[in-house]
Amino acid sequence: MTDIYYTKDHEWIKVDGGEGLVGITSYASEQLGDIVFVELPQKGISFDQGKDVAVIESVKAASEIYSPASGEIIETNSSLEENPEIINDDPLVAGWLYKIKIINKEELKNLMNEEEYNKLIGV
Amino acid sequence: MSELLNENIHIEKTSLFDFHNQMNAKLVPFGGYYLPINYTPGIIAEHNHTRSSASIFDVSHMGQIEISGPFVMEAMEKILPISFSKISPGKVKYTQFLNKEGKIIDDLMIHRTSNENTVWLVVNAACKEKDINHLRENLNKKFDINIRDDLSLIALQGPKSESALLKLAPGIPGMEFMSSAWVNFQNYKILISRCGYTGEDGFEISIPNKYVLSFTQKLLENSDVKLAGLGARDSLRLEAGLCLYGHDINLKISPIEAGLKWSICKERISSADFIGGNSIKHECSKGPSKRLLGFLPKGRAPAREGTLIYDAGENLIGEVTSGGFSPTLSIPISMGYIDSSLIDEKEVFLNVRGKKIPAEIVKLPFVPHNYFKKVN
Repeated sequence: MTDIYYTKDHEWIKVDGGEGLVGITSYASEQLGDIVFVELPQKGISFDQGKDVAVIESVKAASEIYSPASGEIIETNSSLEENPEIINDDPLVAGWLYKIKIINKEELKNLMNEEEYNKLIGV
Repeated sequence: MSELLNENIHIEKTSLFDFHNQMNAKLVPFGGYYLPINYTPGIIAEHNHTRSSASIFDVSHMGQIEISGPFVMEAMEKILPISFSKISPGKVKYTQFLNKEGKIIDDLMIHRTSNENTVWLVVNAACKEKDINHLRENLNKKFDINIRDDLSLIALQGPKSESALLKLAPGIPGMEFMSSAWVNFQNYKILISRCGYTGEDGFEISIPNKYVLSFTQKLLENSDVKLAGLGARDSLRLEAGLCLYGHDINLKISPIEAGLKWSICKERISSADFIGGNSIKHECSKGPSKRLLGFLPKGRAPAREGTLIYDAGENLIGEVTSGGFSPTLSIPISMGYIDSSLIDEKEVFLNVRGKKIPAEIVKLPFVPHNYFKKVN
């Protein structure tokens, strides 16, 4: 059973057991426009919830990505290095950014569910 | 804070504001006006369409200024580093307003019209007020300075611009690059100038505000023509190595440093009889202290405005003034200034988020200009 949570900064995290897959929402991808570069974290590094973990650059500007949960990076989406536009094409599946080993599931309570997030973006 | 600012600063709408909204434009405040950053296709698609076909940009925020009075050209030559003896009637020239220190107040297009008592200027939106003050301070009061805000301005840019415009306004074939003419269109007059700021062939067209929507819609009936926003305009001009005021040029930079010496009349440099003339003459004899150059950072990370530039010995040698991603080349490109003594270096280092990215120094433009050349 996979649960999906959202941040106010438009990241999503799909939680499966003790692991979380992280990406940005369709809304964020549309707002950013054409994505041309992604700087991903290194495997093995740990981040706290809310800390800047990656950078997504669109034609217009660079945007920080904040980690939805604390934990260690266990995998990154290497296909984004050569084809960052995958995020625009499919932000919720193929355009995932990294996988994290979640250290404290209690933190997920700070995040929004789909209904709350849709309200935030006015859908 | 931002809400407070929005209440206090009035942002103007161009005559195409409602149309931009209908066309799903993402509108942002720019130079005091709401303008489209992009439409539904997005910046890269709009950029590529301009390079391969033709795009319409709403540039009505720019200031169109008509100055008239007897001997207006002589009076303007005392201000600007140009010679009307070398500009035929109907020709357009790129130039800059300079202060006494030879630094750039604004860059602009000046038209020599068919009327010897009138010149026509197109200036940057954010500099309009500053330019008018500069003109009032330095022009005799007998000259009439008329801000033509009754006119909108659209830019039609790209290799298919001429064929698209000919369908609407026959009688402009073979119009030379950097020339302009008033043309009758239906029951009104438009000013067509063959120029632009994308590196492509194209036209800037001044149209009475009440007709600009119908004119734009008529152009768009041609499937070669699409709308494009400020985002594409910025990436196009960056690829073409063209300076953007407030970024690559400003009150601290001279045209010599910015690589714009070509736009200054040679004889006027030696006579130095224009505002800033002595400073420019002095700078030309000793050489500028810094130079605008192009940089190609290795990898895919764009090095944007404000990125610091270092030499191999980790000395700070300059700063990026415009940088982004080139849709045409599919790589990041940057322009910036480095110390003149270092322009022959092969490689510099750009500090992007703490990482020193090696970058090759290249001559501008990044993408060759594709301006119209008349074949006789």
